[in-house]
Parts: sequence; structure tokens; C-alpha cells
Amino acid sequence: MNRTVRLILVSFMLICCAVCITGCTDQQAQEPVAMSSSEPKQELHIATTTSLYDTGLLDHLKTGFEEQYGAEVKIISAGTGKALEYGEAGDVDVMMVHDRVREDLFIENGFGVNRRVVAYNFFVIVGPESDPASITGLSPEDAFTAIMEQGQTDPGVKFVSRGDESGTHAKEKAIWKSAGYTYDEVKASGDWYIEAGSGMGATLTLANEKEAYTISDIGTFLAYQGDIDSVILVEEGDILLNIYSAMQINPAKYPDVNSTLAKEWINYLITDEVQDEIENFRVAEFGRPLFFPSRGAWETIGVTQGECETPVS
Amino acid sequence: MTGFLTALDPILDGIIQAFYLIATLDPEVLKITALSLFITFSATILGSIFALPVGTVIAFREFTGKKLLINLIQTFYAFPTVVIGLIVFLFIRRTGPFGFLGFLFTPWGMIIGQTLLVLPIIAGLTISALLAVDRTITDTILSLGATRLQFMISVVKEARFAIFAAIAMAFGRAVSEVGAAIIIGGNIDATSFWGSTRTLTTAITLETGKGNIGLSIALGLILLFIALAVNTLIAQVQQR
Amino acid sequence: MIEIRELYKSFGNKQVLRNVNAVINAGEIFTIIGPSGQGKSTLLRIINLLDEPTAGQILFDGVDIHRDKSRRMEFQRMMAMVFQKPVVFDTTVRDDIATGLRYRGFDRRIITKRVDEAIAVIGMEGFGERKARTLSGGEMQRVALARAMVTEPAILLLDEPTANLDPVATGAIEELIQRYNRESGTTIIMSTHDMIQGQRLAHRIGFLMDGTFSQTGTPRDVFLTPKNKDLARFIGVGNIFEGFIHATEKGIVSIDSGSTVIYAVSDLPAGKRVSGCIRRGDITLHLSHAERMSARNVLRGTITSILPVGSVSEISVDCGINLTARLTWKAVEDLDLHTGDVVWLSFKASAVHVMEDAAVSI
Repeated sequence: MNRTVRLILVSFMLICCAVCITGCTDQQAQEPVAMSSSEPKQELHIATTTSLYDTGLLDHLKTGFEEQYGAEVKIISAGTGKALEYGEAGDVDVMMVHDRVREDLFIENGFGVNRRVVAYNFFVIVGPESDPASITGLSPEDAFTAIMEQGQTDPGVKFVSRGDESGTHAKEKAIWKSAGYTYDEVKASGDWYIEAGSGMGATLTLANEKEAYTISDIGTFLAYQGDIDSVILVEEGDILLNIYSAMQINPAKYPDVNSTLAKEWINYLITDEVQDEIENFRVAEFGRPLFFPSRGAWETIGVTQGECETPVS
Repeated sequence: MTGFLTALDPILDGIIQAFYLIATLDPEVLKITALSLFITFSATILGSIFALPVGTVIAFREFTGKKLLINLIQTFYAFPTVVIGLIVFLFIRRTGPFGFLGFLFTPWGMIIGQTLLVLPIIAGLTISALLAVDRTITDTILSLGATRLQFMISVVKEARFAIFAAIAMAFGRAVSEVGAAIIIGGNIDATSFWGSTRTLTTAITLETGKGNIGLSIALGLILLFIALAVNTLIAQVQQR
Repeated sequence: MIEIRELYKSFGNKQVLRNVNAVINAGEIFTIIGPSGQGKSTLLRIINLLDEPTAGQILFDGVDIHRDKSRRMEFQRMMAMVFQKPVVFDTTVRDDIATGLRYRGFDRRIITKRVDEAIAVIGMEGFGERKARTLSGGEMQRVALARAMVTEPAILLLDEPTANLDPVATGAIEELIQRYNRESGTTIIMSTHDMIQGQRLAHRIGFLMDGTFSQTGTPRDVFLTPKNKDLARFIGVGNIFEGFIHATEKGIVSIDSGSTVIYAVSDLPAGKRVSGCIRRGDITLHLSHAERMSARNVLRGTITSILPVGSVSEISVDCGINLTARLTWKAVEDLDLHTGDVVWLSFKASAVHVMEDAAVSI
């Protein structure tokens, strides 16, 4: 008995040690990179919307930045609402979000500065291939109206909302408004409207399980395409434009934030090389781009050229 | 039936990929596992350093409200980890009272959170373990002419396996906890080991969203193995 | 010398000890005998400072050990106690036995030496590194005894140390206790509910009944002349009857037990309510009423039962009162005794032990 206990104890500790050592050597292997720069490694904290992170774009871009600046990038994937909250408290240095209205308010309130649009794409309205509300080819507003009207009578028509104050959720609300409904009215109108309260991936999965409609950013949808049966039904309409911006937290408000590195990150994102990388990111895999670069597209996006192309200082 | 079997394919793929990741000692998997164990070990050790003496003193001292205090401590076993996470988050964020430490989104912050999580468990179970020492034993110790300190040491020695089980139990709870780890750590996958805050549980929670099913399953298997090892250990110790 | 003076102990409303008085001499084995639940353990625990008395004193050479808190540890370390349930620590036998010595801060070499000696004394050589918890009950109790003895206490307290053990283990422990007392001269206070054991080991006995010592004395005193009928019944003297003294003449009293008159030697006056007892071995059984019977008491009766007890048989006879005589199996066969036979029982007046009843005389 005693021997068994000892055996288990020892083997458990050995495993732990082994794992720890591997972890440490792993770290040591990477140490020279850090040591090559004479200064201590700087850290950049980025709060990001889930779509930029879950598609793998930021992990892909950060490697180049870390090498170039000898810095360490720490990404907290949180959804636009939460990211803005982190930003307001100065918990991060840079935010990457996609909700123009709330971004404007954020900047107005003095929390954010130096916003640059780094990429854009389009939201898509997806749903079951059978399309019970017949929204294929409609404008986003008409599609929403059709879903709502038929959802109230036909139990086979449902809509799943993110319901998490994310950028996608904000976009959904904007479409309801544009279609002539108040959001409270929509929420109160029946069981056809389902609030997921979770990230894009989980919401897509839920919509797929319930054979419901939902709105998604194109990137996450493409990443999930293989695992779900939902298809894109509506992808055209100005309102579906999805604009990704990066901005730094106002150093005047939070002197502790890493302002220098934040600026370098924003400027790095709008360099030609990175813009090319954004354009080509996973195109080979999906056969279509997940993100469009903001370079040269300021008119499409509807912002000044400077907000897309002029480096911050 | 064929549909069901086809639908199993992605799961099987995930499991195969998981075993591949584990078998090839995938650096990502190792890093996450090592960080998880490091954080939880540190929290358990830190928690023990505080909770063991406190539990011992509470168990041996007679004072008014002792029962109430023990009840309170035991209530905290079930304290929601997300609430612990939230509280720690509010205290260590830049605008919080301990913001100057810069612990948010670091392993150190996560250690604080898990320490708070294990404190009541270790203290409470230590108290139970000490109070469970048979009166015939405590009488024998007193009868042998033990001083107050000798008495405490001897009783703790008698209860050592139960106390060890308490610590292991706390470890098990901390290593499988996800709420606090995400709020405080943020699931960061930094290049350096110490910059990361990605643990087994946060990675499983959030990597699934990225479609990293194989990684999630691999980490899940490792977590299961750790839980199993801890439980086996507790069972072995309690059988004594 | 240990003196117990007017000791009372209550747990809540329940009075466990009431007015316990005793003097225990240095170097003697004093056994506290009494039925279970009569306060034996409580008394030992109070002596061992594990419980506080409600009232009264325990004096060691005139000093109240419960009063003088500054010398508490000193008194505590003068004693060692072995409990009814064998208790060992979760460690090796050697380490277990050393516990008390370690508390007292002895040098490691001295501890090793004394523990080795103690292991030899309890006959457990080679068991030193065994886990104490893996031992049998008897072995554990020997370890407990060794653990107590190595501290070389002035007073060794034993609370029913053999109550949970089989006869072989009991014998080993008893042998150890007697040898230890003989060789070290340590005062031993031991409780037991086993009278035979109490009688075998003790220099003196105290009978604890209903929370107080109803009688203390040498085993011979107590067993031959129990003070009251409860005690007589407890020690199993047998043939107990009740009645009142009808008449008295030259130290011989006639006791009227309702249906029978029994003559006995006693100083008690007429009219007293008394109980009497006659040890079974003092009664002679006859098949017929012989003229030459010299005994004062001759009673005619019918055999109601014949029960084998150990190597003898107990013959119960209804003579108005129920009396039991003892015969060997062979005698029962030779006399061809059967239930329902009419026989005569005879015994001397001096064989009857008369005890005054607590109740008032009629």
C-alpha cells in the first residue's frame, strides 16, 4: 500500500518536473531572440474583437512585429464591448475593434487616440440552405423584416443574435434600426428571436443546430464553414460593411500604457507589407479573402484617406 | 446510422490529432500544461502556507463564534470562481487599488486568484482533519505530557494524510477552474513562457472558438489525466 | 501518596462521581473495580488531569494537582496513562514509544536506549520499525504500556487496559503490569470491571458503585466480607438473601427471611434489616437428614437445576430461599442427583456473611 502511494507520488512529481523543465527549455530556446535586443523586452497588450483573433490573423501578424521590434505582444480576445471596457480602465495599450459608433464615443470621451482603419470586410446573413423566410437576394433590411414577420407566425423561422454587446451585435442592431424597428420591439416580439450571449463561433454553432438565421463576420463564418451546414444568404448591402480599426489608449489619461509601442503597432498594421498580408491571409485555404486591406479603400470605407494611410505620430 | 458515423469523423479526427499532439510532445501543449501546473502548484503552495497555520489555530483555539467561522469557511468552498476572478480583476487592473503591481493578464495575477480559491478549501479541510483526530489520540498526547505546541504538532502529524488530501483536493479544484483564469489571465498566448496566461482550461474554452478541436481535446485529456492522478492520490492516501 | 478527597464530577445534569474518597499508597497496585459506566474512567481521567472535578481534590503528597496551575505540567509528567481502547500513533512502534520522552526533551541516545529496553520488556523485539497501526490489539496495548512506562512515571494509570483483548493478550499485559510494579515500585492505579483480574493484581481494591467507593480494602477483605448486597451480587458471592434480625443471642443472630430462618454470626442488633450471603463452597449437600450434622443451619429443599460451571456443577435448591451449592461432576454422578430430588443443605453460622441494608430497620 505504502509503496503504491509513494510510486504514484514520485511519478506524479516526475511528470510535473518533466513538463516544467520542457516548458523552461522551451523558453530558453526562445531566449536568445529576446537577448539579442539590449533593452529589456517591452510588452504590448492588445484587446481585440474575437473575429480578428479567432481567424488567426492577429497571431499571424504579431510574429513579424515581435521580431522587428523585439517586443512581446499579448493579445486578449474579448469582443468589442469588453475590449472597450478594458480600454476605458487602461488595462491594455491598444484596442482592435469594429464598432464605429462606440469607437467615436470612446475617442470623444478622451479614452482613445490615433485610430486607424486597418482592414474591412462584410458581414453576411447566414441561415439554413432551405431558407424558410426566403431572404436570398434581399437587402439586409428586407431580409431582417422578412425573418421577423415570418418568425412570428412560422415556428420554423428563427434568428440567433450574439446578444453580447459585441461589434457584430451592434451591427445587427443597426440593421434592425435601419429596417424601421426599435431593438426593444424586436427583442419583445417572440420566441423566434434567440439571444446567444456568446462569441461568434458559439453563435454560429447554435444557429446551425436550431436551423436559424444569424449575422456573422465573413472571417469567422468561413473558418466554421466546414463544421456547419448554414450557408450565406445575404452578403450585399452598404450596411453590411465591417470596419476594423486599431487605436491606442490615450496616454494622457493612463500614463502607464505603452504609448510608443502602441503607435508602432498601429503604424506596422498600415504598412504595405502588412496590408498585403491581410489581403492574402488564408485566401488559398478558403478561395476568397477574409479581410480586405484598408489601403486605398478609404472611399469604400467612408473615412478620410488619412485615417487609413497616414502613420500616427 | 451512416449519418451518425460520418458525424463521428470530426470527433475521431480531433482525438487522433490530440494523441498526435501529446505523443509528439507538441511545444504548445507542453507550454500550456507546464504553465497550468506552475500556476496551480504555486497557488496551492502559497495557499497552504497561509491556510495551514490559520486552520490549525482555528481548530485548536476555543473562542466564541468558532462554529460560525468554520461554517463560513466551508461555505466558501463553493465560492464561484468567476466571482473570485472578478474581484481580483477589479483589484489588480490599472485603475484598481493594486494596479501598480501590473499583475493583470499575468500568471502572477492568476496565482493570486487561485490562491484565494484554495485558501478556504485548505483551511476548512485542515480544520475538519484536525477535529476528526480521535479523542483517544488527543487524550493520549495530553496524557504523555505534551506542551501546547507539542500537542499541536503531534495532532497535525496524526492528521497529515487527511491534510495532504485536503491540499490535493484544493489543487484539483484550482487546476480545473476556468472562470477566474480567463478573467484575470485573458488566455494570452505570448511567445515567452512567463508572458503567457494560457492554461489548460482557458485554452480549451477559447481555442474551441478558433476551431482548434485537436488542441482542445489534447488539453482536455491532459486535464483529465491530472484530475485522475490527483484523485487516485487522494484515494490512496485516504485508504491508509 | 495520593489522596482523593470528596471528589464530585457532573456532566451536565448527570452526576458521575459523588463524594469519592480514597488513599492510595506509594508503590501499591490499586484497582478500581466496578460495573461499566460507574465513573471508573472519569476518576482516572481526573487524576490524569484530562478532566476537571466539579468539586473536591486530588492530592499528591498533600498538593492539590488541579489547583496549582503553575505545576500542572510537572504533575502531568509524573503520571502516564494507558487507555481502554488501544491507541497508537500513525508512526513506527519505536517512534510511538519514544513520544513521551521526546516531549520531555530527552537526549536522542537516552531515548534510543530506553525505547530498546522497553521493546524488550514488552517482548516485541524486531517490531521497532513496524507501523504501529498494523499491530494487533494486544500488541498495540503493549506498545501503549511501553510508551507509558519509558517515561518512568511515579504513577501509572491504567483504564481497563485489557477490556478489548483476548485472554492470551490479557495474560501478557497482566504479567507486564505486575512485573513492572515489582521491579520499579511504581504506584499503579488500574480500573477493571473484571473482579478476578482486580483480585489477582491488586494490593488493594476500591469498589466504585453508583459513583462512589462503596468499599476499599485488600482483595481478601472485600471478597470475604462485602459491605452490602449490591457489592456481594457484583462480586458474585451468590446465595444472597434478605430478611431482618429476629433475635440475637451470644453473637448468633437468627435472620427471618420470610419462609426460612437462618442463623449467622453478627454483632447487629435485633430488628435490623439485613442481607446475608453464603459462599457456594461453604454449603454441604446431603441426601438424607443425618443426626450428626454439626452445622447450625440445616435446610430441606428440592433441586431445581443442575448447571455445569467450569469444572464443577452448581446445584440450585429451593429451600424457601434459593441456595446454590457446588459439587464436582463426579460427586453429582456418585450421588445420582436429579432435578426434583429432595436434599438437605447444611452450613455453619459463621459461613453466613451478614450485611446491613441501607434501608431503615423495620
